[in-house]
Amino acid sequence: MTAVVAVAAMTLAACSSGGSGTAGSNSGTTGSGSAPAAGSGSSSAGSIAGSGGSGASPTTETGTPVSGGDLVIARAADALAMNNTNTFDNNSIFVFEQIMEPLFTVTDDGKGTKPWLATGYKTSDDGLTYTVTLRKGVKFSNGDPMTSADVKFSIDAATATGNDGWGYINAAIDTVSAPDPGTVVFKLKYQWAPFIADLALFSNAIVPKDYDGQSADEFYQHPVGTGPFVWDKWEKGKALTLKKNPDYWQQGKPYLDSVTWNVVPDGNARKLQLQGGQASIDEYPDWSTMDDLKSTSGITATTFPSTQLTLLTMNQQHKPFQDVHVRRAIAASIDRQAIVKAVLFGNGTAANSILMPGVPYYDKNTKGIQFDEDMAKSEMAKSSVPDGFSTTILVRSGDSTQASVAQILQGELEPLGIKLEIKQLDPTAVKTARNAGDFDMLFGGWTMDIPDPDEWTSFAVDPDGGAHADYTWGNDPEIVKINKEAQKTTDTAKRQELYSKLQSLAAENSAEAYLYYSPYAYAWQNKVHGFFVTPLGNYHLEDVWLSK
Amino acid sequence: MERFRFIPRRLLQAIPVVFGVTVIVFFLIHLLPGDPAQAAMGEHATAAGVAALHQKWGLDKPIWTQYVMFLDRLIHGDLGDSLFYRLPVTTLVIERIPVTLFLVVYSVVLAVAISVPLAAFAAVRPGAIRDHVVRAVPLVGLGMPQFWVGIMLILLLAVRIKIFPVGNYGNGALEHLWYLFLPSLTLAIAMAPIIIRSLRASMISVLSADFVATARSKGLPKRAVLFRHVLRNSAIPTVTVIGVNLGYLVGGTLVVEKVFGLPGLGGLMVNSIFNRDFPVVQGAALVLALFVVLIGLVTDIVYTILDPRVRFR
Repeated sequence: MTAVVAVAAMTLAACSSGGSGTAGSNSGTTGSGSAPAAGSGSSSAGSIAGSGGSGASPTTETGTPVSGGDLVIARAADALAMNNTNTFDNNSIFVFEQIMEPLFTVTDDGKGTKPWLATGYKTSDDGLTYTVTLRKGVKFSNGDPMTSADVKFSIDAATATGNDGWGYINAAIDTVSAPDPGTVVFKLKYQWAPFIADLALFSNAIVPKDYDGQSADEFYQHPVGTGPFVWDKWEKGKALTLKKNPDYWQQGKPYLDSVTWNVVPDGNARKLQLQGGQASIDEYPDWSTMDDLKSTSGITATTFPSTQLTLLTMNQQHKPFQDVHVRRAIAASIDRQAIVKAVLFGNGTAANSILMPGVPYYDKNTKGIQFDEDMAKSEMAKSSVPDGFSTTILVRSGDSTQASVAQILQGELEPLGIKLEIKQLDPTAVKTARNAGDFDMLFGGWTMDIPDPDEWTSFAVDPDGGAHADYTWGNDPEIVKINKEAQKTTDTAKRQELYSKLQSLAAENSAEAYLYYSPYAYAWQNKVHGFFVTPLGNYHLEDVWLSK
Repeated sequence: MERFRFIPRRLLQAIPVVFGVTVIVFFLIHLLPGDPAQAAMGEHATAAGVAALHQKWGLDKPIWTQYVMFLDRLIHGDLGDSLFYRLPVTTLVIERIPVTLFLVVYSVVLAVAISVPLAAFAAVRPGAIRDHVVRAVPLVGLGMPQFWVGIMLILLLAVRIKIFPVGNYGNGALEHLWYLFLPSLTLAIAMAPIIIRSLRASMISVLSADFVATARSKGLPKRAVLFRHVLRNSAIPTVTVIGVNLGYLVGGTLVVEKVFGLPGLGGLMVNSIFNRDFPVVQGAALVLALFVVLIGLVTDIVYTILDPRVRFR
């Protein structure tokens, strides 16, 4: 779920292919939030966009849940930290989401929000004031009731992290006040359509006021929240265990006595632990092992639609990528189906848009630029370099996914006279080069954190979005203008129109070539029930139960 | 106790060895491309943040200064803090030593348990069919890559027939014995052929020695001759073979820990290399080096116990 920027996009695929032990340890955005917008705020984004995407739909569970049992999840890398306000790493987020909960949460289809620790909200006529009503009877696991004072403290603490944490997500918030214990009032600096979606982000989860009398550092060593599970123990690099919160506000839940995440870096070892019965869930099964797992009796291996997009970034500071015809020629020369087959073993779909199928306002009718050799040739002929040129692509060393895609690309660009040299660099060195703009092409991507497209589109197309328009150093004034307009538009139909236009223009402009959408792969023993992952990557373990 | 006088001297000799290891490990890992600050801060890294971490970790200083700082801390028993886990390296390393140590000892015990009867079985009738079988079949174990043997054992004895667990090492000595059986067997299968060959050869030569003829003519039972006289006298070359191979065995734990998902020293080291977690790699390598030095020492001690005539100076 964490925003996975540029090269980190392949984290999931990368970690599942090699088990380098750094899965998801490097994600997040450096976006500074989006520019202030005027207009009227609204509730979370409507669910308009076409669905689709790849993989299976949620498994419907039959049978009556039973309590008890210990869930063991085998994962590729350990969590890093438990501070929800400044941690960008999925392995950490998936854990602390079970302890600390936000006021609103993402719906199962990932396209909207639903009340969670809140029961609802009202918006003022000018769209600048949100009055949120808190759920009654919610207690922290230390026994204290959750009140508006805790909410104010938590949101203010998250906002205070600014660009060093997730605080920039809260940039629209002016003040938070607590007129009575059951009500919180948010005053915004400007109208901001994604506001409730922002409140649903894990960084805005509620913790006890003043960290229960501790310093932030002490508190996050063993955090306390309202969630279904409470802190138990963490043997760093080995295992992290949470146990049941007996006083959870959802009566009768959670069903499990405990959850343990075991660190098993090797993909094959995770698969064998699942088959051998030591692990209940494999968090990152290799794509190459999915067929094997599917045919193992007693094991379910499936994919959940995600918001993960992998793309090819072309640096417009370097010649000849400022030429739109060159970029379009490259985008048209890529056989996306072949890549999906080679890299994801067919578990994915070719990308057509800057938005992903799991994101609100995704337009499945966006034509995009697809594999079309004739178009590639004619665009090349129109370009400033009709006879071709030599260029390079940066690939993270040890990342077999990126290496495979780069090789496919190399073969496909050859007929256009483009000589592509593949340069392998250490992953951190790739990031350094990317941030400095010291590259021709590289692989990028994104997964969404909030159910609103703005988080990504502002980062990707707006030169002021914090990352030079996703490191393309491109600037298309028309696209930027549409994006800013969509930020302040609350009417969902109007907003859809704007985002459809943006998707179409962005594809035509091809600052980046959209390659493929990959789902989340998970495998579990059939005795695990109710396990479900939203397109943003969240899973709710309070719904999971184990049959005897 | 006279004959154990060599021990302190041996320990002193270990110092230059360990020092050499620190030099090699320190400079090798710093030669690798990649920046731990960038790795630790992830996507959210800003140039200022990376620079601040460099300063905090002393990575902005010249490499020689960093090495001196590292040595200075080492002398004070401080291996530094992990950049990734934000815990003292000593804590991380000490937590994982038992797994690796248990694995090494267990696999030697298993290897010996496999080898001694087989070697004796073969040595009693050199040139017979059983001798050829014992010499040839275990060689297959030597020829197979350990990761493959490990996976096959898991598939057979943990997945197909669920007798043993995969991964983790359980709580308490009895569970360790159960959990670590397959990984130890994997290592033992690679080690046994070497022990069998060496033990068989030396048993054959000892069997023809005069004192064995004497023992036999005294009317001692066959079994007593074989195990009390022949085995003890044939053991010394085998102990050397085991001692030498233990060094490789420690290397083998890296592979086996990965295949079985065990939280040992090897696994810690491999992951830390990927994370560019310099202090942990240095610490783990140092401990593994000490391990190998100690094994050499233990080998020598075992010699003197087996054969009181052996004297080290």
